[in-house]
Amino acid sequence: MIQRRSIGLADAQVAVAAVLEAARPSDGALAIAVVDDDGNMVYQVRQDGAGPVQVRAAERKAYTAAYIGRDTSMWRLQIRHDGRTVADWANPQLTTLHGGWTLRRSSQVIGGLGVSGSGDEERDEQLALRGAEAAAQLAVAAWRTQRDPRRIRDRSSR
Amino acid sequence: MFQQLRLGLAEAERARDAILAALTTSDSPIALAIADENGVPILLLRQDGAPARMLSRARSKAYTSATLSLDTVEFRDHHVKATQRTLDDWGDPMLTTLQGGLAIRVNGRVVGGIAMSGNTTMRDEALARVGLEALGRST
Repeated sequence: MIQRRSIGLADAQVAVAAVLEAARPSDGALAIAVVDDDGNMVYQVRQDGAGPVQVRAAERKAYTAAYIGRDTSMWRLQIRHDGRTVADWANPQLTTLHGGWTLRRSSQVIGGLGVSGSGDEERDEQLALRGAEAAAQLAVAAWRTQRDPRRIRDRSSR
Repeated sequence: MFQQLRLGLAEAERARDAILAALTTSDSPIALAIADENGVPILLLRQDGAPARMLSRARSKAYTSATLSLDTVEFRDHHVKATQRTLDDWGDPMLTTLQGGLAIRVNGRVVGGIAMSGNTTMRDEALARVGLEALGRST
């Protein structure tokens, strides 16, 4: 038997809240999706005004980031470098649109986060990163409470 | 030009909170889908431990209720069973007759669908109705 880690609803909601908080009035209406380590949806929201294109793109970006284990922008560079296309993976759910971020814990993939709708691919990616950072911050917080202060000194806040 | 009332994220979040508050320890982990009038998701949620198929089902139920303007049970009993047809006749692979999807109505017009999955289909519909009532409190 093996143990696998997965993002879970509580952390997914924290990540989505962080993206919403980071969004500026100049950004378009967003769709934000968080999937688990297998790429299956855990939590998705759509801001008022975001259309079906954004909903689907956010889900596909999150899925790709988790399934491939690469941020979608990085994966795009890799594919282009290798002279391949997305079709080589024979999975119609994949996308190389920027804005899909892989969520990891201890270098294991625990999920993916996708943002769409800001009006700019790079900005989608920035926003996705803010969500991923918030999720990673939860790991730091959990580590702080679990560590044995006699054995491990906390240097993370310096 | 014409204008229409559409379901917003704020309402969807209110329904989400009402449903999560109504869950008891005897419920299995649930999946929730709230879709707009075209069946496009506004809010999707899957609790820890709920298999992925639960959310696919909830999505299908919400889509069915929204696009057909029918609760999924009405669709099953009055449109599919009563006419001795099968789902294939509708030509839409997203449609389902599983209980647990409810149409969201404002002033008689359908503005979306809300659906649950994870428990028995009876319980799914009861929980979806909790969300529906939470939506109604505002409109």
